Amino acid sequence: MNRQTMVLIGSGVVFATMLFLMNASNSTQRNRGLSDQAQEPLVVFCAASNRAVLELIRLQYENEFSRPIQIQYGASQTLLSNIEVSGTGDLYLPADDSFVELGLAKGLLSEVFPLATMNGVVAVRRGNPKNIQSFSDLLRPEIRLVQASPDAAAIGKRTKIVLTEKKLWDRVEAATIAFRTTIVDVANDMVVHAADAGIVYDAVLKSYPDLESVQMPELHGIVSKVSLAVVTGSKQPQAALHFARYVAAKDRGLVHYAEQGFQITRGDVWSDQPELSIFAGSMLRPAIEETLIAFEKREGVRVTRVYNGCGVLVAQMKAGQHPDAYFACDSEFMSQVPDLFPKPVDVSMNELVILVQKGNPHDINSLRDLTKKGLRVGVGHEKQCAMGWLTQNTLRQGGLQTEVMENVTVQSPTGDMLVNQMRAGALDAAVAYLSNAAGSAEHLDAIPIVGLSCSLATQPFAVAEGSHNTQLAERLFKKICSAESKETFEAEGFRWRDPMPQGKQSVP
Amino acid sequence: MQDRKSPVTIPPSPKENWVPRRRSDTLFFLVMSGISSCFVLLIILLLVADIMFTTPRNFYDALSKPEIRAAMRLTVLSCTAAALLSVWVGTPLGYLLSRYSFRGRWIVDTLVDIPIVLPPLVLGLSLLILFHQPIFGLQLESTFRDSFGIPIAYSWRAVVLAQFAVACAFSVRTMRVTFDQMNPRAEEVARTLGCTRGQAFLQIALPQARRGIITAFTIAWARALGEFGPILVFAGTTRMRTEVLSTSVFLELSTGNLDAAVAVSLMMVFLAVAVLLVLRIFGAGLNT
Repeated sequence: MNRQTMVLIGSGVVFATMLFLMNASNSTQRNRGLSDQAQEPLVVFCAASNRAVLELIRLQYENEFSRPIQIQYGASQTLLSNIEVSGTGDLYLPADDSFVELGLAKGLLSEVFPLATMNGVVAVRRGNPKNIQSFSDLLRPEIRLVQASPDAAAIGKRTKIVLTEKKLWDRVEAATIAFRTTIVDVANDMVVHAADAGIVYDAVLKSYPDLESVQMPELHGIVSKVSLAVVTGSKQPQAALHFARYVAAKDRGLVHYAEQGFQITRGDVWSDQPELSIFAGSMLRPAIEETLIAFEKREGVRVTRVYNGCGVLVAQMKAGQHPDAYFACDSEFMSQVPDLFPKPVDVSMNELVILVQKGNPHDINSLRDLTKKGLRVGVGHEKQCAMGWLTQNTLRQGGLQTEVMENVTVQSPTGDMLVNQMRAGALDAAVAYLSNAAGSAEHLDAIPIVGLSCSLATQPFAVAEGSHNTQLAERLFKKICSAESKETFEAEGFRWRDPMPQGKQSVP
Repeated sequence: MQDRKSPVTIPPSPKENWVPRRRSDTLFFLVMSGISSCFVLLIILLLVADIMFTTPRNFYDALSKPEIRAAMRLTVLSCTAAALLSVWVGTPLGYLLSRYSFRGRWIVDTLVDIPIVLPPLVLGLSLLILFHQPIFGLQLESTFRDSFGIPIAYSWRAVVLAQFAVACAFSVRTMRVTFDQMNPRAEEVARTLGCTRGQAFLQIALPQARRGIITAFTIAWARALGEFGPILVFAGTTRMRTEVLSTSVFLELSTGNLDAAVAVSLMMVFLAVAVLLVLRIFGAGLNT
């Protein structure tokens, strides 16, 4: 064997050894992370600026649940591009939520967990050697001011918008000696004495003991949010949502965010498998049940539903039962519990109709026809359900309340019960929601009530003030507002109110 | 009688011309070394500034972090693997481009330079796309992962591949210049004496190209060490798994840990110097 052959073989052996060592090291690390459970690691794409806080949360989570978390750090935009190209990953945590909006618009992200907010401040070196106290000090000729680029960084963009509105941008721009790509570059410039002042987010300064902040009223409005989002293509959404809930829990991940100088949002209380309670009008059951089941499956949570007439539900709430969310049959029954649900959002509408037997054997074509002698009429109970209350209003508005009530043989707390009685032949006609009759088209006909505006009911949804599961309930609301849910509502006879127009991502 | 020869002019003693020549050489060396020292001085000043910015404590802190130690280990292993691979590929390709004229040679010659001129992030993105974009119904990533159980993207393999993609281009360029400077006559003579092309390459060209190969390996190794953009995009920066020293610097910088970033940077410098010295000692001798 000549020398050349030996060198070739030797280099091959060295190469193979390198590969073996890298593989061995990787396997050891993976096994250490996996513990004794063969779980797929969750892949989190995380902005490098969140590294310190997320590493703390990761350690705590792995200790508590033995599920490995694999975090890819990088620049927010680069990471989003990675998700788009590779179609991999479970969670995305960018530097600020402008990237989340971008990901949502592209359909790359689904559930969003608000974590914290950051406010724009002026950063100076500790001790403020240049004595920068006011906005006019920033414009002094000897002050070297740096900013993040309005084209490349979210804070730069936000600063430009806010200062332009206040007609201060031109002066600040002229006084700025450099626009940097990232907020970290701005802070680093001051650390290495390349600049005297820079506009940064307050949370960033926690990592820089050599810097301090100067608050300026002119910068009010420069606010950015930090949010964690689930990647739409995640192959383990339940696990991803579990970790996301952990990060966003006020007694888990948000504790670390607060320690790192972020202004945290009002997160949920941590629970391994949270239970969400929802009160909903009976007529809404067919429209929301599928959505609730899908929500439970995806989130890995339990949703306790209480369907009943809204009057009954209101009475229960006034008696002390406080659900996390309430979906009322009509806004009248939402307005009776304003302290519990101060911010309702209208989701759908439903119209009252006259249900008659198939073929309309009694020839009923209007409310007046319900006054025919001997007719057995069913209506909702005005105290127990929105439908009953609405029916009485409609009859009153039509001037037929007394006459029709003479034929009423049943006052039911829910529309479903009226439909059942109709199908059993116990009633000749009933005033109920069109949605109550969905699925009974073979047995019943629906006669519209025309000319009476109050025959329309509006269904609002609200998350309870003070709920421990506010974010979870808000995500449920988002599911209820989804395109799939809309289809179900319309198939059940409801009219859609577009509660969450495109681009709006959270419950007010 | 012998004719008297005309007197012969005696050439002046070298000492007579020594003074003026020395003057001109001094000027020459002053100018040349003055220009050269600017660059050398710049490098020294950079290192001095870095050393002054950090403290031994920062070094100790950085080295005591398990993720930095893991990054250092992966850096050495992946750079060596990428450099070896680069030399294996670069040597035959450089030889072919140097010795033979073939149709499309200029295209190949241009193509191998693309990784050098391409922005690093674009190269990483291209690798990511290559492995995830279905080509003729075949997606490389899923094929490797599902059929062979070998995931590429976001693994140490992606680190090596990203380093190789750039390092190999430098290796090819170095090897081509090496073979260009070697007289092919020795190989031709060997062939007239009965050697095949392969034997001429292995037994004549390769031994002659020894220094070029070591240079190519050195350049490829150094280039792989500094590689950052493609790794960031294609391999990610997962701690203890795909984090190499260059990405550690980026991560430390991104979180405002300037001290740690500088400490890791200096570690990279020491590591590079150590490896390059070892290569010189064992490969080409200190005097080369």
